[in-house]
Amino acid sequence: MAILEFNGLSKFFGGVKAVDGFSYYVPEGNLNAIIGPNGAGKTTIFNLITGVYAPTDGDITFHGESLIGKKAHEIASIGIARTFQNIRLFPEFSVLDNVRTAAHQRADYSVLEGLFPTRRRKKQEQELTDYAYKLLELVDLADRAKELSKNLPYGHQRRLEIARALALEPKLLLLDEPAAGMNPDETADLMEFIQQIKEKFNLTILLIEHHMEVVMGLCDDIVVIDFGKTISRGTPDEVQSDPLVIEAYLGVGEDEA
Amino acid sequence: MSGYYSGIIILTCINLLAVLGLSLLTGFTGSFCFGQAGFMAVGAYVSTLLTMNYAAPFPLALFAGGLAGLLVSIPLGYPTLRLKGDYFAIATLGFAEAMRLIIENLEKITGGSRGIPGIPTHTNLPLILVVTFFFVWLVRNYVSSRHGRNCVAVREDELAAEAIAVDTFRYKQISFAINGFLGGLSGAFLAHYVGFIQPSMFGIPQSTQLIVMVIFGGMHSITGAVLAAIILTALPEVLRAADAWRLVAYGAVVVLIMIIRPEGLLGSWELSKDSLQDLWSKLQARLNQYKEQRLAKAKE
Amino acid sequence: MILQQLVNGISIGAVYALIAVGYSLVYSVLNFSNFAHGEILMLGSYVGFFALTQLNVPFVLSIALAMIGAGVIAILMEKIGYRALRLRQAPLLYFMISAMGLSIFLQNFTIVTIGPNFRTYPDVLPTQPFTLGNLSIGRIDLLIFAITVISLAMLTWLIYRTKLGSAIRAASYNMNVASLMGINPDLIVMIVFALAGSTAGIGGVLFGMKYTVYPWMGALTIKAFIAAVVGGLGSLPGAVLGAFVLGITETFAAAFVSSEFRDLFAYTLMITIIVLRPAGLLGTLTQEKA
Repeated sequence: MAILEFNGLSKFFGGVKAVDGFSYYVPEGNLNAIIGPNGAGKTTIFNLITGVYAPTDGDITFHGESLIGKKAHEIASIGIARTFQNIRLFPEFSVLDNVRTAAHQRADYSVLEGLFPTRRRKKQEQELTDYAYKLLELVDLADRAKELSKNLPYGHQRRLEIARALALEPKLLLLDEPAAGMNPDETADLMEFIQQIKEKFNLTILLIEHHMEVVMGLCDDIVVIDFGKTISRGTPDEVQSDPLVIEAYLGVGEDEA
Repeated sequence: MSGYYSGIIILTCINLLAVLGLSLLTGFTGSFCFGQAGFMAVGAYVSTLLTMNYAAPFPLALFAGGLAGLLVSIPLGYPTLRLKGDYFAIATLGFAEAMRLIIENLEKITGGSRGIPGIPTHTNLPLILVVTFFFVWLVRNYVSSRHGRNCVAVREDELAAEAIAVDTFRYKQISFAINGFLGGLSGAFLAHYVGFIQPSMFGIPQSTQLIVMVIFGGMHSITGAVLAAIILTALPEVLRAADAWRLVAYGAVVVLIMIIRPEGLLGSWELSKDSLQDLWSKLQARLNQYKEQRLAKAKE
Repeated sequence: MILQQLVNGISIGAVYALIAVGYSLVYSVLNFSNFAHGEILMLGSYVGFFALTQLNVPFVLSIALAMIGAGVIAILMEKIGYRALRLRQAPLLYFMISAMGLSIFLQNFTIVTIGPNFRTYPDVLPTQPFTLGNLSIGRIDLLIFAITVISLAMLTWLIYRTKLGSAIRAASYNMNVASLMGINPDLIVMIVFALAGSTAGIGGVLFGMKYTVYPWMGALTIKAFIAAVVGGLGSLPGAVLGAFVLGITETFAAAFVSSEFRDLFAYTLMITIIVLRPAGLLGTLTQEKA
């Protein structure tokens, strides 16, 4: 059963066709990837899913329900969480607060209650803090909980961003180049980590990546795009041996590797 | 307590109420509001008309002044909070100026540019202290709640805030409404302290002064806002510096703060049981260190 | 009567255009509204004034000096108030606050040093107006219009026909990419501020000539902002269009309702545009890239 489905999705910025007739589906429980050269339109697709952009044409459905026209925070609240290509943490927040803030939906005390220190609020706040710590332990950042997130090293910031996304208790997790800037060891750890959280939290994961090792070893299905258009899809093996893909993308990648 | 000192405290509280709202809106939520004096004007005039024309009891007039400020913020915020920060800033500036112009032109009701004299001076020290403490307490609670954190998320990165299911528009509206209420309340107290009101009391210089207080200490800390209001109200009174040079210094200090320490005096530090205990243990650690150094020196 | 007000509206619209164009230029490259832009205008006006009255230079030279003076002040403003924030990639809020600080500083510094008195420019032209039937067009208005057209033409040539101009336009689309292409961002920012300052300086002289020179002239920057918003923030032609639309409509508002209504009308116009067509008459709303 498809959890996420794209139908003829297009996004034009003036004359630039960032996404052109993208059709794809992600079955529930899968770990899929969108790959393609820089500027192919991958992040634009993520932005269309999460409501940052409105599409020029086409549709995206989540569990059969269209996402078009929904506000970004609505989309986040129905179970789609994401990380960003250029990490977007809340710099002045502590590590703990980055995650704790994202967990806000687990509490339900009102704005009015926010003005008073009620017992119910205190209880819910404690719950949020405990939950946040659990997530931080998962990414090995619990001992740095009180540090400012802007002071963390790059790799830790990436992990924190993932922990923050998990705090939303999503059903679908969108990871935008999670391995960017990592060395092979870190990348291997990340691969393991992604597998772990997928199983632990019962997630469907859609990945944007450049690092071939991450994608090939990890994913159930891959779609390759270039200039906003799909040029191939299939299992990692199928895609790897597709001559179109090799020509457009993997060929270049192999040279670089 | 002599009238002079109680006057300074009352003025501080009046400023503090306005700065409190601004701290929440501009400091914590990141929406630059240039027109706080406009809300004060609304509160001042509404409360004055109630006490002078309808013999309303003071607490009711105070509440009405605050409520008027809150209600005004709703239509003002609706179109402008959706857009980039500079639109909102100019719109609030325009709002304050528009208020002034409207008040000047509704002469029959508001006395025009001459204003309204002879306002009963209901504002007294105990009342305003209690009210101020109460609202500082309320806002402090709000800021440390999940809603307060959401506001800060809006300030830090709107896009990321939306991505964690925070309705940025709604939180900006709420902060704006609270700011409107506190601004109106402040104006109501001011009117019934000074005893007269004129549109010229609610112009750009007054809005600017309040923003400077927020920048000084209230960008990330309510405690800082309180401190800044105290220092920047009491200091000019004590120094009796010439108005224009004071403003020159303010301007320079604001730029310096942005360059060197934009978080302001206290940064994000808030006064609380935890933070006080934290300070206390740090102090004890320092003292112990000092004792050990003295002992080591004595042995030499 | 209507034509007369039209002339007045075009005249003030021309001054607004000069200010709004500089404002929009800075906005398009740096993505922020320099609220202290008005103070550059004010100081430029004083420079011109003192050049004329103390140094007794010919009028053309006084405009040149005002341009240069304002340009230099603009560059200094950038270096002191914004550069550190820019390098730190500070949030927009901090830029706005710094701008406010600069504005307060410069305004009040002028008040305590030069003095709060209103100054009048000496008459540079014979004072009798041209008359065309019922219409009387002040020579000053003609001069303002002429100088504005010339300045805008030169600016347009610079931006659209020179290598420097394409560098500026590239930077306005994407500073990072532009710097990868060999454009020095610091230099571009400096040049943009210098240009914005110069046009503001001219505008300041013209305004001072038509009305008076005083330390609070910087409040005109709000009109420049409104003009830029009406025309489309970030669009230079939009700034010019918006300026004339604002100048003409607010003059009519002042003439047919009351002079106090003028400013109120300007704010109302802005709110109306924001609500009905937030991108402005010529602009397009750009979406933030995630």
